[in-house]
Amino acid sequence: MPYQLDNRPADLREQMYFPEIIRGIGTLTAHFLRNLFFTRDANPDILERPRGFGKSDNVTLFYPEEKAPYPPGYRGLHRLVPRDDGKPRCVACYMCAAACPAQCIYIEAGEYPDDPVEKYPVKFVIDELRCVVCGFCVEACPKDAIRMDTGEHAPPSYQREAQQLDEKALLRGPSVNYQDDPWLRREAPSIPAEKLAAMKAAATPFPSVATDEYAQTPGFSVKALAAEARARAERSR
Amino acid sequence: MKRFFGMSFALVMVVVALMALAGLFYLAAAGLGWGFNAWFGEPGRVDPALVHYGASLANVLTLMMGVLMISGSLLTVAERKWSALLQNRVGANRIKVFGNPLGGIPYLAADALKMLTKERVEPARATHLLYELAPMLSLAPVFCLFAIVPVGPAIDLGAVFQGARGAGQSVALQVAKMDAGLLYLFAIASLSVYGTSLAGWASNNKLALLGGVRASSQMISYEVSLGLSLVGTMMAYRTLQLDEMVVAQGASVLSGVPAWGLLLQPVGFLIFFTSGFAETKRAPFDLPEGESEIVGYFLEYSGMKFGMMFLAEFLEIAVFAGVITAVFLGGWHPLPIAGVTEWLRASLGGGVLFGAVCGGIFLTKMMVMMWLQLTIRWLLPRFRYDQIQQLCWKILLPAALINIFVTGAAILLDPSLKLLATLGLVTIVVVAVLVGATGKAPAASQAHAHGGGH
Repeated sequence: MPYQLDNRPADLREQMYFPEIIRGIGTLTAHFLRNLFFTRDANPDILERPRGFGKSDNVTLFYPEEKAPYPPGYRGLHRLVPRDDGKPRCVACYMCAAACPAQCIYIEAGEYPDDPVEKYPVKFVIDELRCVVCGFCVEACPKDAIRMDTGEHAPPSYQREAQQLDEKALLRGPSVNYQDDPWLRREAPSIPAEKLAAMKAAATPFPSVATDEYAQTPGFSVKALAAEARARAERSR
Repeated sequence: MKRFFGMSFALVMVVVALMALAGLFYLAAAGLGWGFNAWFGEPGRVDPALVHYGASLANVLTLMMGVLMISGSLLTVAERKWSALLQNRVGANRIKVFGNPLGGIPYLAADALKMLTKERVEPARATHLLYELAPMLSLAPVFCLFAIVPVGPAIDLGAVFQGARGAGQSVALQVAKMDAGLLYLFAIASLSVYGTSLAGWASNNKLALLGGVRASSQMISYEVSLGLSLVGTMMAYRTLQLDEMVVAQGASVLSGVPAWGLLLQPVGFLIFFTSGFAETKRAPFDLPEGESEIVGYFLEYSGMKFGMMFLAEFLEIAVFAGVITAVFLGGWHPLPIAGVTEWLRASLGGGVLFGAVCGGIFLTKMMVMMWLQLTIRWLLPRFRYDQIQQLCWKILLPAALINIFVTGAAILLDPSLKLLATLGLVTIVVVAVLVGATGKAPAASQAHAHGGGH
C-alpha cells in the first residue's frame, strides 16, 4: 500500500547525509533483529499480521505450502455444477459455447432415456489452454450450471491433453438446487421420487444478485481491507 | 518465543564455536611450530626462526584457507539471508537437508557446483593471457592482505605444551609479523585494481572496458583517502604493525577506557570505513559492476572464473572487516574496559584458553563488521559517478588531512593521548547527538549540495 510523501526540502541533518546513513543503519538493524529473533506469522492476510516490538516484520507467504485466499469473484478453474442427484445441472443449450470468445467449449448434447424433454451434455470439454478466463460462459448460462468459483488455477501439466477437461473432471463441487429448476417443477422422471422430494425440500430461491459464496474464505474481506487502507491513508495525512 | 531462545542460544554457540576454533588454530600453530623445531632443528636447541616458520605455515592453512575462505564463501549465503532479514523476506530456503533449510547454507554447495560445471566461454578476440590472469590477480592480493591481520594475541609456546622445550617462544594467530605492517596493506590493496582493470581490458568488450576503467579510477582515488585515514592511528600508536597496534589499544587512556582506535580516531574510522567500502567495489560504490548500466568488468567471464571475481569481493569484505577490527575496534581485546585483558590472561593462565577467548572475540567482532558492511550495502543505492569522485576528493580527502593535522597537534600537546581521546569522545558525542536528535531543523537556505558529516 503506497503511503504519502510530502515533498518538502531536505532539512539540515538530511543535507549532512552521514547522520541519516547512521539512522538508516539503525532502522535496518531493528528490522534485522526483529526478523532474526521472532517467528514469522503465517497468517495469509498479511495486513492482519501483528507488528511492532517482539514481532517479526516478515511479509512472506511460503507460496506452494501457504496460499493467500483469492478475493471473491476470482475466476478460477471452471466446474460444472451438479444437482443433488449428482447429474450436471447443464442442459446442453450451447449458450456458453456460443458466448465463448476463445471457442474453447465443446458440447455434445444427449437425452436421458427416461425423460424425453430434457437434454444433458454427453460430452462437455473445456480446453483450459485456449480459455481466456473471461467468465462469459458463466454469465451466459441460463441454468447456473457452469461456474468459475473453484478458486484454483489450471494445474500445470506436461501434456496438452491434460489441460482439456471433460465432463468427468469438470463435474465437481457443491451441488445447487433452485426452486424454479425445471426438473423439480416438472418432477422429471429421470430422478427417483424420494430423491426428488429431498431436492425440493432443499431447494432455495434463485438469487437476484450474483453471489460467490463458494469462493469466499472465512475472515477475508476485500471491502474491509480497502476500508482499513483508506483509514490508514487518512491517518497518515 | 521458541525462536527467540533458539536464536539467542545459536548466537551464543556461534561465539563459543569461534572461540573453540581459535583454540584449535593455536594448537595447530603451536604444534607445527614445535614440530618444525623438532624435525628440522638441531636436537636440544630451540630455533626461533623454525618455530616462527612452522607457526606461520599453520596460520596460512588455518587463517587464510580456513577462516578467510570459509567466511568469504559463507558471506555469499549471508548476502542472501541477511538481506532477506533486512528486507522482511525469508531468503534462500528451498534446498533442504532432511527437511531443514539450515539457514540457506546448502546453497553454498549448489552455487559451487553450478560455478564449476558451467560452460567455459571465452570471447573470440580476448587477450588470452591477460584474460586468464585477471581472476587470479583479483583473488590473490586479497589472500595476501590477510597475512598481517592479528587474529589472536601472542601466547607462550611453553604455556601450550607443559614442560616441553620452547618456553619463551611466542606463537600468535598472525601469518606474517612484518615491520612494514600497514604499508604492506596499502601496497597489496592497490594491487587488486590490476585484476579488475585487466579483466575489463582483456575481455574485448566495450562495457567490460568501461567497468574496468571505472574500477581503476575509483579504486585509485579512494586509495588516497584510505592511506591518509590510517595515518592518525599510526601516529597515535607509534607503530605500523597491526599486532602492536592491538596491544597498544589495551592501555587505559581515559580513566579505565582503553585507547581503542574508535575512541582516538572516530573521524579516521569513518573515512577508513567509507574508503574501504569503495575498495571492495560494492554498493553504494558498485559502479565498476553497475549491473543495470554496464554489467561490469567481469561481463565476459563465466563459470568459476566469474566465481573467483565474485568470491574476491566477499573475501575483501572479510579482510577489510579484519583490518578494521584490528585497527579501530580493539582487535582481540574482549571488552572496552582497560585491564580486562590482563585479568583474563592472569586468570586463564595465558595459554591456549586465553588465546582462544581472545581469538574468538576477534572473529566475532570481524563477523559483526561483515554484517555491518552487508547492511550498508543493502541500505544505500548506487552513487552517481561524479558523486563518487566528489565524495572522495572533496570530502574524504580534506577530512583525512584535517584529521591528520588535528591528531598530530593533539599528540604533540599531550603525548599521553588524553587530549586525543577527549577530542574523539567529543566527536562521538556530537555525531550521536546529530543522529539521535529528533525534530526537524529549519530548512537551511544556504544549501550545500552534499555535505560530509564531519
